[in-house]
Amino acid sequence: MWTLAISRRAALLGTAGLLAAPGLPHAQEAPPDVYGPADPQARRGGTLTVAIANEPPNLDPFHQAGDARTAVTVLMYQGLMYEHPSGDARPLLAESMQASPDGLTYTFRLRRNVRFHTGQPMTAADVKYSYDYIRDSSNGSPGATDFAAIAETAAPDDHTVVIRLSRPNASLPMTLTNRYGCVVPRDTFARPDARARLSQQSVGTGPFRLAEFRPQSHIRMARFPQYWEEGQPYLDGILFSVQPNAASLLVAVRNRRADVALLARPQDAEQLRDVQGLTIGTAPSLRQCALDLDSGHAQLRDVRVRRAIALAIDKRAVMQASIGGHGAVLGTTVAAMQESWGAPFDELPTQRPDRARALLAEAGLGDGFPLDLVGIIGFEWMDPAAVTIAQQLQRVGIRLNIQRVELGVWLNAFRTRNMRFTFNDWGTQPDPHILYYRHFRSPPQGADFRNWANADADRLLDRGMEASDPAERRRAYVELQKLMSDTVPTIMLFSPNLVTVTQSRVRNYAQHPTGWWFGLARTWIAA
Amino acid sequence: MLGALASRFGAAAATAVLSTAAVFLLIRAVPGDVVGEMLGQSAGDPAAEEALRAFFGLDRPLWRQYLGWAADALRGDLGASWRQGLPVAGIVGEAFLVTLQIGLATLALALLAGVPLGIVAGVRQGRWPDLAVEAFSLVALSAPVFWTGMVLLIAAGAWLGWSPPLVYAGPGEDLSDNLESIALPVLALGLLQAAAYAQFARQQTARVMRQDFVRAAVARGLPPRAVYGRHLLRNVAIPLVTFAGVILVQILGGVVVVETLFAIPGLGRTLLAAIQARDYPVLQGALLLAVLVALLVNLLVDLLYAAIDPRVRGA
Amino acid sequence: MSGRARFEYGAGLLLCGLLLVVALAPGFLAGSPDAVDIARRLAPPSAANWFGTDETGRDVYARVVHGAGTTLGIVGAAVVLAALLGGVAGAVAGFVGRLGDMALSRGADALLAFPPIILGIVIAATLGPGAVNLVLALGVIYAPVFFRIARAAALGEAARAYVEAARALGHREWAVLLRHVAPNVAPTVLLQCVILFPLALQIQAALGFLGLGVPPPTPDWGASLQESRNYLTAAPWLAIFPGLALLFAAVAALLLGRGLQSRG
Repeated sequence: MWTLAISRRAALLGTAGLLAAPGLPHAQEAPPDVYGPADPQARRGGTLTVAIANEPPNLDPFHQAGDARTAVTVLMYQGLMYEHPSGDARPLLAESMQASPDGLTYTFRLRRNVRFHTGQPMTAADVKYSYDYIRDSSNGSPGATDFAAIAETAAPDDHTVVIRLSRPNASLPMTLTNRYGCVVPRDTFARPDARARLSQQSVGTGPFRLAEFRPQSHIRMARFPQYWEEGQPYLDGILFSVQPNAASLLVAVRNRRADVALLARPQDAEQLRDVQGLTIGTAPSLRQCALDLDSGHAQLRDVRVRRAIALAIDKRAVMQASIGGHGAVLGTTVAAMQESWGAPFDELPTQRPDRARALLAEAGLGDGFPLDLVGIIGFEWMDPAAVTIAQQLQRVGIRLNIQRVELGVWLNAFRTRNMRFTFNDWGTQPDPHILYYRHFRSPPQGADFRNWANADADRLLDRGMEASDPAERRRAYVELQKLMSDTVPTIMLFSPNLVTVTQSRVRNYAQHPTGWWFGLARTWIAA
Repeated sequence: MLGALASRFGAAAATAVLSTAAVFLLIRAVPGDVVGEMLGQSAGDPAAEEALRAFFGLDRPLWRQYLGWAADALRGDLGASWRQGLPVAGIVGEAFLVTLQIGLATLALALLAGVPLGIVAGVRQGRWPDLAVEAFSLVALSAPVFWTGMVLLIAAGAWLGWSPPLVYAGPGEDLSDNLESIALPVLALGLLQAAAYAQFARQQTARVMRQDFVRAAVARGLPPRAVYGRHLLRNVAIPLVTFAGVILVQILGGVVVVETLFAIPGLGRTLLAAIQARDYPVLQGALLLAVLVALLVNLLVDLLYAAIDPRVRGA
Repeated sequence: MSGRARFEYGAGLLLCGLLLVVALAPGFLAGSPDAVDIARRLAPPSAANWFGTDETGRDVYARVVHGAGTTLGIVGAAVVLAALLGGVAGAVAGFVGRLGDMALSRGADALLAFPPIILGIVIAATLGPGAVNLVLALGVIYAPVFFRIARAAALGEAARAYVEAARALGHREWAVLLRHVAPNVAPTVLLQCVILFPLALQIQAALGFLGLGVPPPTPDWGASLQESRNYLTAAPWLAIFPGLALLFAAVAALLLGRGLQSRG
């Protein structure tokens, strides 16, 4: 289908291209294939129906975290950069980007003729307003922590934005992509009802604008006629229909009521094999299903116990039980980043239950002990995974007591760094700093949700963030991953594949590794 | 009677206040709140959390929060959803109308299917129609409603190759899509309620049939139609109508479960989503509505009963 | 007792007895419900697995049989809890003065004002998943029913002469309650328990279906139905058999209830 391996070469070349040799300012034209390849044979018009499993609670990119929201708002809101599937950030609303030799100042030249859905033209003042808003934590944006790296945003003229950092940060371009870094007209949030209005009317620059949002039911988007890219998008409209469970999603696909669906459970593809006229595409994802170990909790305080647990688990069997094997077993990074940033598999320890038992005996727990494993209601893969892991840990003497909590309760424990021994399910953008930093670095720079408190890791994370040489960055992150596999703050189990199902009349859809709906901006419907 | 009515009303109001206060406290006892859900795994900045919490008023003492909400509610302002920012009254009202449509359609089906069956069973007691109805009602009352729904979904998909429309459409937007959307839920719920109605109707019919004046009429050789038309129906009509009120509340409860199965954006799903997201205004608004509806229906049933039945009216 | 009533009573007793056997001695009738066998996942019913296997290869028949203990146990405990809670509260309301009675009655009305499933969802979501929490939630839902029965009985008795006499003699109120009211009200309460059992069973199954039931891997009929949702067309046996089990249990309880009612 569509190839999405983020090759290491491409990643290195990409970032190298953006951060050229010191002293040389580097300008780069925005490639026309943002969101996917353009198709000269495209037929314009028509409305596409997309079945989605997770409903966005609202459509406010400034105050709502979570993939469900981002997946659809990327079609309506844009940032300065775009997270290209190859793994580097390419200019989007920016036309070009230059970095100063010391890596502390980034200058962006803005694209001209960009209009908001409200009709007004975009200027640098709007960019400054948007980024200042996110950065200011009193506004309560989840992006505040990511944008904390920015010291100041300046708009010296209408089409230039200058961002100054307090410390060098090689992943700044990736931070300015489309998760939180969206550009909206200045003073958007000055009105008291601004947040509510964003769920009824979009004010972004994207190829589609919001036509209707009916909670628990559907989201309707319409083509934005004044979109800055000539001739785009091809579709007249998109209808996102919320399907509350996998069964109804499959029914919708099978009966052709949905044109496109991203399967919530990759193993459901098996049920569609016999259906005519469907195209099923598989791609590695940036999402990980993991086991988190709170280093401040009970027996997990002892690193030998954590190592033992890691050695006792057969990830392949867990993946087979949870998602029928439709994914990739992980080492220490997500599947779609393994080639460019991952520590090689042969350098990581493999499953050794005998070694696990020995470690436990060394820790004085040779007779085994009981341990709670927390799962989240609504995440179906966790149930068979829990059962399988319980079996595997039973063999080394650990008796698991499986608990299930509601997402709200779990998030509360997560926030207060009280995770204990739990499953986790989260995704990232294709940059190792964005993946690792906040989760694993000690406070105050990071949040260290798992109480890992590892000074070596802190050093490596800082080095990875600041280094401008891509090879040096990679070395730092590989060393970090080896540290992670040795002291085990988390066990990354597997990345479920992104399985997208399209009807035969849908053309030119490319699945983005984040799982977000970028590709719909380039999709067209055959007659 | 006016005095009795007033005191009933007062009792209902007191109950409503008590229920909402209890719910208010109860849901705040659950760990986690909307701020955590909004920040998700991007949390970590305490300043952002505090700012959000202040924005929602979660940093105020509990009694303050409740009184604030109650005062607004009495004025008709149920606030805005913390998740979507849209007004609660709109969200809850729209969802309720969807649920109500299904509830009324189910009631109609239950009446049309259940009452004739029940009456026939009651008239022909001990004979095969009665036994058939008994067996049917036994099975229908025992099967979990969502299981019935699942079986119907499987059967419709496998035998008819049909599935409900992808997006729920209201009756005003697209009637045929709307009817297709509610067909299976109404059928699943309706079977259950038809059984309940059939049982009740049978009971009532049997009771009337046993009464002396009916037996006398039959003994006198009156044609069946006269017996049934004049004596039977008139006497069972009242209890059947009041039973409708009882069933309606039950139906509304049952709709909650099927909404999840059939992807219908009604009150049940709104409630579940609000609980998960800790969206207190929507949750409180929805529960207030549910309680008020239940109380109102009960009140109406009592009134109706009092108005129609001459024996009660005199008391 | 009419022939029909006798049939209902007998059939009800028989089926309930069968259920009790299954609930109390599951190991005797089936293998392990927890044996994961990935290679044989989603196998249709066969000689080896009478009800097929689920998505991790566990035997559905074993899970249904073992689930009987979990599901019926929870519902049974909930009904008993409701009877105790509501019964005691109702009796107290009947004997205590007007104010106390009003307060308790308003409380019961407040609970009754909620459609049962909604109340169940709110309580279960608050308390979190788990068997004990489910029992609590269901018990609270149905306590008002017993409250009303006990209160009516207590009010009726409280006015009787012998109670006045006992009070005058200095006997404690609760002793009077226990000795005189309880035996009179017991048959009604028992009947109500049997009648409420299928209703509570439905709610427990619904809560399990909505994900608010017992956590895995404990076998439970409602939870099994929830797991079956994703395989409705691919593996319908996952939905059919636990559903039939629920049907069977409810029918048994209904028959017994009707039989008891006819008996008088």
